[in-house]
Parts: sequence; structure tokens; C-alpha cells
Amino acid sequence: MKYTTIINNKQFEVEILKDGNVLVNGKPHEVDFLGLEESLYSIIQNSKSHEIAIEEERGKYELQLEGRLYEATVLDQRALLMAQRKGGLMTGSGEVASPMPGLIVEVLVNVGDEVTQGQTVVILESMKMQNELKAPRDGIVQKIACEAGQTVDKGNLLINIEGDDE
Amino acid sequence: MSTDVLGRTIQKVLIANRGEIAVRVQRGCRDLGLPTVAVYSEADRQALHVRYADEAVNIGAPAPRDSYLRMDKIISAAKKTGADAIHPGYGFLAENAEFAGMCEDEGIVFIGPSAHAISVMGDKESARKAVKANGVALIPGTDAGMHDDDLIAAAREIGFPVMVKAVAGGGGKGMRPVFDEAAFPEALRLARSEAVSSFGSGDVYIEKLIQGGRHIEFQILADHHGNTVHLGERECSIQRRNQKLVEESPSPFLMMTRETREKMGKMAIAAAESVDYVNAGTIECMMDKDGNYYFLEMNTRLQVEHPVTEVVTGIDLVKEQIRIARGRRMTPTESVLDPQGWAIECRINAEDPYNNFIPSTGTLTASITPKGPGVRVDSGVFTGYEITPHYDSMIAKLISYGENRQQAIVRMRRALSEFVIMGVRHNIPFHINLFNSVSFQAGRYDTRFVEERFSMTTYESEPTEEELETIAIAATLHAHKSRQKAAQVVAPAERDTSNWKWVGRYERIHR
Repeated sequence: MKYTTIINNKQFEVEILKDGNVLVNGKPHEVDFLGLEESLYSIIQNSKSHEIAIEEERGKYELQLEGRLYEATVLDQRALLMAQRKGGLMTGSGEVASPMPGLIVEVLVNVGDEVTQGQTVVILESMKMQNELKAPRDGIVQKIACEAGQTVDKGNLLINIEGDDE
Repeated sequence: MSTDVLGRTIQKVLIANRGEIAVRVQRGCRDLGLPTVAVYSEADRQALHVRYADEAVNIGAPAPRDSYLRMDKIISAAKKTGADAIHPGYGFLAENAEFAGMCEDEGIVFIGPSAHAISVMGDKESARKAVKANGVALIPGTDAGMHDDDLIAAAREIGFPVMVKAVAGGGGKGMRPVFDEAAFPEALRLARSEAVSSFGSGDVYIEKLIQGGRHIEFQILADHHGNTVHLGERECSIQRRNQKLVEESPSPFLMMTRETREKMGKMAIAAAESVDYVNAGTIECMMDKDGNYYFLEMNTRLQVEHPVTEVVTGIDLVKEQIRIARGRRMTPTESVLDPQGWAIECRINAEDPYNNFIPSTGTLTASITPKGPGVRVDSGVFTGYEITPHYDSMIAKLISYGENRQQAIVRMRRALSEFVIMGVRHNIPFHINLFNSVSFQAGRYDTRFVEERFSMTTYESEPTEEELETIAIAATLHAHKSRQKAAQVVAPAERDTSNWKWVGRYERIHR
């Protein structure tokens, strides 16, 4: 099976061979991949031993190796085609979702506003702290799905930002 | 002192707290052979402190005001279980004079200072007044209860930058720095509104902001026999929004010589004695870049960061607290001027360092705590544990120690790389980057370091191509496996006809 795997915005062509070994961008790797717990693996790759925790969230994977966190997207051939048709692999989503349950303290933008990546768009109060939620990309605010004073759950869409180039 | 204090016995201890500190206190009790009682909210049935305790009492709904802050329920839990002492931990009711008084009235030993000491030190105005009378140096500032116009005038006189602080504040809340007069009215408004929503009172005061200052605090122990000692300092300047993230003992600051420690320690003892303090407490100070130091406040409880002091002094603070509460003489007879070795603590918080330290909630799918020489972990979590939005985001404390600071740092880096927590975002990557930063390694930092001169990208070494390949392989194999599993589950539906028809045919054949 061939996959296209994106790690921290870097693309890798990964092919899983019948014997369990793996080609990465055409280069062979000897791999022993052993599941230890639900989300924990031991991997021996070309005799190097690592422990990796893997978790799936909304179609993406989070991996932790030696205390550091990586984000991965794994696409099979069909998903790759679909993603390319939708306009490239690397364009991030413009959705600002609530990362936790909480209370919307303030919405700092209006529909039609131009925002830049990293700009604070919403202030959410949770765990007794006021948290600034930032725009994940440059673009125009298309939709605001929350208002000040509203309580929201984890994962609720709050704001959608889309590019102004299309 | 009264003889009833000296004749006190403690047979069973109720811990009016949750999380890692509840477990820490229970361990101290166990070492003394004392049975423990846990109290828990409905959200904490599965928590470690409940499972570790000898007895456990449900005290209500998840929100703290319905459970961990309900003094009546906690007192009645103590009565029900026959606990004759209550340890409050930190946070919740730890610095609540009314609660300490209630325990006293009910004949329950409050393992902490007197209600009087808590109330004097809990109010910043009365605290400043009390310590000043004992010759303790204070940061220039105003009184509480002033009107906005008077505060602006006072700020002008003190000179900007200043800090606006809520009278009832604490733990980094209700504080705002103001760098010029133009920003003052807005900052004042925000500080007041934050104070009203957090503490129910909008009263604020202002203080000169010490730039390049370091937050250094002294651990105090005092018993009922009139002895007060200090156990050296803790350096807590690695903070973000006034929340401590890393603490170490001793301080790596060059100005922190043995001589300074002796002088500052005397000042800390004088501050504690100004309210006839008994039990464990902490004098928080601000030290400017020239080594001048000022009293900030006294925390009348066990601190989150108490383990670093325990490691370099060899003194078990929880055991000493209980000993003192029993009316005995405390073990240390003199102050600690020469700490042994070096200890550093990292607070492990469920906060995403890549996304503005936003708290993260969820269920831990993996939790592997580091072990080995020079490592201590105080934690309240485990695989399967659910982090809810009801409580603090701190989930564990990682403490490393060694003969010197360098060794403690090396061990901390080892331990951080061993620490696995999955299921929620956490700040371990922040600590890894911090411990890689040259400024931190050299001990050159102040309370503004994390916010102003540190970023997650500046110090982060790029992952190597090899690491990325390993990650790519693991992610792909994991995805491949789970997709194959999913394909097997879906497979029966791929029959040429519906499953219902298929079952019907099958049953007809086998009739």
C-alpha cells in the first residue's frame, strides 16, 4: 500500500511492503512495529529503538516521540486525489473551534473583517482563565457562530475564516 | 502558649483537597502511620486521592463551590469519619481564615497557621502593615480603597511602570502591569472587573513594577514553642502571566550569595513573626537586578513548589506540618544556609504551548511518568483519567535533582524526554525548549523572560530528517492498521444484498 504522509508540513511517500518493511521516498527501511497499549508503540527502525505514542483526532494523528509532539496526516491514493482537487495539501483550515468547554467573553472581529494569522479573534473563559483564541490563517471572516455570554462545548465551531484569493 | 496545643493528639487526617497535593499529603500521613480521609466531588470518583485514601466521602457536584469549597460538608465529613485533623493542601480552603476558625470551633486541628495569621496575611493591606512594623522592606505602593483619580495621581508620583493589583487577588489573578499613563485608565478598569468576577471585590491598589526583577521566596517553618526558621530560598521567576512554571532551589541568581540568603532569611523570619506565625509558610519577595529585595506577600500554606526545598534540605514539610500541629517541636533547629545539591521543578500543565497555553481537556490515553536517579514525580493522573474544565490545569510536578544545577538540568532533560502524556495537550514541549535555552541554562532570567524573550520557535531545535522519517513510518503504519481493522468491520455490508436479506436467506437454508 502506498500512502502520502505529511509531518509538520513536510511530505513523505511511504510504501508498506508485503513483508512489513517500509519504503520512505523510495528508500528502504527495516521496521518492526509493535503495539504495546492502545496508543503506544515500540518501533525498531534499522535497529534504532523508539517508543511512540499515537493518537487520532478528527482524521489527523498526533505523535509523541521523546517528549516532542508531531502532527501527521496520512492520505491513501484516493484521499490524496481528493485533497489535491480541493486545492492543495498544505492550506490549513480557517475554522476556529472551541478547544474546551467554556464561556465566550468577547468576539473581537466581525463578518467581513480581514484577519492575519495569529490575531486574537475570540476570548474564551475556561478553567478560571481568560484564553485568547487566534486566527489559524490569513483571510476574511466568513462566519461567526458564537456571541459574548454564550457557553460553548469542546469542538464547537466559533468562527470561520476563508482566503480572499479565491 | 496554651497547654491544650501541646497536649494535642492527631489520630486521623482529612485532606480537604484533590489532585497531586491530596496524594502528597496522604503519603506524608502514611509515613507517620496516620489513616487518611479523602473528600471528593462527583467528577473525582476515579481520582487517585480517592483510591489512595483509607476512607473517602463524596461532598457534592463537580464545581468547587458545590464541593471542595463547601466548609460545612467538609467539616461534617470529618465528623462522620472521626477525623480529628484537616490538612487543606493549597488552593480551595487553604487560605480561608473562616474555615480555619471553623475547624478550631469544632475541635478539629487545622494543619496550618492560626485563623488570625491567615486573615492578616490574606489581606495585602494588613499584611504590609504587619510586616512593616517588624522592619521588613516593602515595594513602594498605595493603600487599598482609593478612587481612580487618586490612584492615577499616586501612580504618577511612584513613577511608571506600575502594577495594578486586586486587594483580594492571588495566584496571578487580578494583576496588571501598566507602562505609561495613557494605558492606565483601561488597565484599571480591566483589573477591577477581573477582580469583581474572580473575588467578588473590585478593590485594587498599585505598586511600583520592578523591571528585570526576580521572584524569590523563602520557606518558613515555625512551631508552638516559639521557634521560627527558614529553609532557604526558591527561585520562581520562570512564570507566564504570573503563573509559576519552573521553580528551583537554591536560586541561580549571582546576587544570591550565602550572605544575602542569611539577610533575606532573617527578613523572612521577621515577616512571619510579625503575625506570630506557626506552621509552614512562604515569604514571597521581589529582587531587582542589583540584589535589592522587597517583601511581596506571605502564603500561609504549603506551596505547590515545596518539593524542591524538601530535596535540598532533606526535610519532609508535610510531616513537619503535622508534627507542629500536634504541638511538638519541629525537627530543624536552625535555618538552612547551605542547601545540599540542587533541585528543579517543572509544573506539567494540560495547556497547549503551541496555542497560547490554552487549557486542554480530555481523557489521558497514555501516561508514562519518568523514573530513575534524581527524579521525583508528584502526580494525580494516570491512563484513563479524565481532565475536566472544573479544576486547575496542573496535572503533575516533575522534580529533578543532583549535586549541582548542571546535573539537575541534565536529569530534567532526560526525564522530560521520558514523560509521555497523550489525550490532552500539555506543556512538556515548552519545558524541553526552556531547558535547551542558553539563557535558562546560564540562570540568566527574570519574571518577564518567558513572556518577552522566549518563544516556542526560537529555541526549538528543528527535528532531524531521521526523526521525521520515523514519525512518518509510525503514523503510516498506525493509520494502515486502523484502516484495515475498519475495513474488516465494514466488509459484511459489501455483500451484493442487504444484511437483513442475507440473514433471511441463511435462516431459510438452515431451517
